[in-house]
Amino acid sequence: MEVAGAAGGSDVTTPRPSEGDIKTHFKVCRFIIEAGVKLGMNSVPIATACTVYHRFYQSASLQVYEPHLVAMSAIYLAGKVEEQHLRTRDIINVCHRYLNPQSEPLELDSRFWDLRDSVVQCELLILRVLNFQVSFQHPHKYLLHYLVSLQNLLNRHAWRRTPIAKTAWALLRDSYHGSLCLRHPPQHIAVAVLYLAVESYGVEVPGDSGAGKLWWQVFSDDLTKPIIDSIISELLQLYDLEAKCI
Amino acid sequence: MDRDLLRQSLTYHGHSLFSLLKCEQFENPDFKLIVANLTKTLHPRKEKSYENASVEQFIARKADLLFAPIWTSSSAANNYINEETEDLYAIMPPVEQFMDVPFDERRDLFYRDIERGDVVIGRVNSIRDFGLFITLVCLGGGLPRNIEDLEITALCPVRDVPSHGNHDNPLSYYQVGDLIRAGVKDMDRYHGKLTVSLYSSSLSPQLSNLKLGIISSDEMPVHYRHSVSTACSSHTFDSVLQHTLGFANPATVEFLLGKLEIGETEPPSLMRGLQSKNFLEADYGTSIRKRQSASWALKCVKIGVDHFKSGCHVEAMNEYNKALEIDDNNVEALVARGALYATKGSLTKAIDDFELALESCPTHRNARKYLCQTLVERGGQLEEEEKLVTAEHLYRKALTLDDTFQEADEALKKLQQHIQVRPWSIQHSYHSIEKGQFFSCKNIEKIVCTKGF
Repeated sequence: MEVAGAAGGSDVTTPRPSEGDIKTHFKVCRFIIEAGVKLGMNSVPIATACTVYHRFYQSASLQVYEPHLVAMSAIYLAGKVEEQHLRTRDIINVCHRYLNPQSEPLELDSRFWDLRDSVVQCELLILRVLNFQVSFQHPHKYLLHYLVSLQNLLNRHAWRRTPIAKTAWALLRDSYHGSLCLRHPPQHIAVAVLYLAVESYGVEVPGDSGAGKLWWQVFSDDLTKPIIDSIISELLQLYDLEAKCI
Repeated sequence: MDRDLLRQSLTYHGHSLFSLLKCEQFENPDFKLIVANLTKTLHPRKEKSYENASVEQFIARKADLLFAPIWTSSSAANNYINEETEDLYAIMPPVEQFMDVPFDERRDLFYRDIERGDVVIGRVNSIRDFGLFITLVCLGGGLPRNIEDLEITALCPVRDVPSHGNHDNPLSYYQVGDLIRAGVKDMDRYHGKLTVSLYSSSLSPQLSNLKLGIISSDEMPVHYRHSVSTACSSHTFDSVLQHTLGFANPATVEFLLGKLEIGETEPPSLMRGLQSKNFLEADYGTSIRKRQSASWALKCVKIGVDHFKSGCHVEAMNEYNKALEIDDNNVEALVARGALYATKGSLTKAIDDFELALESCPTHRNARKYLCQTLVERGGQLEEEEKLVTAEHLYRKALTLDDTFQEADEALKKLQQHIQVRPWSIQHSYHSIEKGQFFSCKNIEKIVCTKGF
């Protein structure tokens, strides 16, 4: 059951989230990503967890469903979906310590097991809200292939001294603080992120002279410069949001 | 901060970025070091077609992360496309092909980027007595470019053609139209002249196992075959990508991350709060789990010790084993179990447990104490079985652990006196041990007496 990121008019039916909600979602996604790193999760499962989270709150309310519990269940679910299974015990341990820094590890008592039960039950709830469609096409695979193709286009020394790949990957990972993944197809996000990386280092890519197509047009033919600009601008706003939230 | 990288970016973006940088990074000591140099050498290349203030603001703010020296790749980039990796990811035709890069530009790019040691594949178009001329079809070994229609020719001088068997003239082995794989030996970028060689010594190290010489069309690189098949059709890059088998491989992300040298542990980020080098080790899942298991195991050990004190040895053993299942090599559990084994008389098992405990925690007082006592006791057992050498070994071991241990000292002295009485047999048993055999002392004595030494 594959679901592409943009589902046409999905934005029309749900109301725009309030500013406070946006900040909460940012903080909880930060929670997911950071917990993911501490659990040793790879980039793609973390992306799945964030996407599940964002999708859930498209139709659910923050007042009714506690976001940190949803986040923990999203992590657990994502681990299963992307074949990087995580134990609930580790998820609960890491998340507890994130929310209560420097605390002692939890006792494995009945309170712990109750918490574990909540995570598992929330997982089922998430699945039902998402209609069991939890397999996503992520930008990561596209980005990696675009990077290889771009590498072949550039001079090898220029490539070696410019960390385009790492920067693009970092930008992509960071984009999951917001719900970009729901509103744009994976190819567009991959290209936009790569475009920003290339732009940041001032790299001259062949083909800019005007004849023929531009490199990013080749990667995704229905992509236009305004779309790239809009994705980049959303991404940059996330970085501004960090200063306000954390 | 990497000065050259920063200069490249500033040249592209111009003075607007420079002023933003000075504003955002003025407190950064690394930036202060190079700002003077940059001011002097900065020449913005051209008028920018458009200004993007928010991107420049972003670059300025994150400059310390973007231009940090640790981010640049340190190892030699190995871009060799191994044919065996064909299905691990989608090997695409050169992007140039989809971009319709004009003839001249492609030609210039080719001459800019070709280097000595690269592999080229071409067709022989004429054979002279001083060498072969080949027209390049594509590049092998990892640089996919669309060069077939550029009609670039290269010369392979006769001295770079290895001879084949009993052909007097190595060139006579070749015919016009043969597909040849060769290594670039020399080039003149300015005049557009290439010299190639068929000797593997001309290849760069990572490509040196490629076979040079005549190849068949099956051996053409994947990207070339792919580009030929897509050239006729008007498929887009995206549709070609999606239809290539390698793209659907679940291992492709992992493989390409390795190829592009991006790590998944300590993943990169441009968010201030996600710099993983600042994360505490103690916050990681494995670390918390270990501490949690240790504390849980300790509880079981306490219960076990209570059982032990009230004489329920079986229950105690169960608790200790449970503790070791929860947290294997838990020091307290091992020491407690060792003590239980010793009490029950299984001295060797006790010794094993104590030694294991001391490996993880060499300063554990009880482990050390109990081990000494058990070693001496075991030594005593061995003496009775006449295994004197092993006994001595154990006493010495006890003394190395704790040289104030009276009992070990006394036992050792007593044993040594015992040994003095029968020097022959002990010396023989030492020799036998050296040879890898072990005789008990009594047997040695028998042999000694019967042989009439």
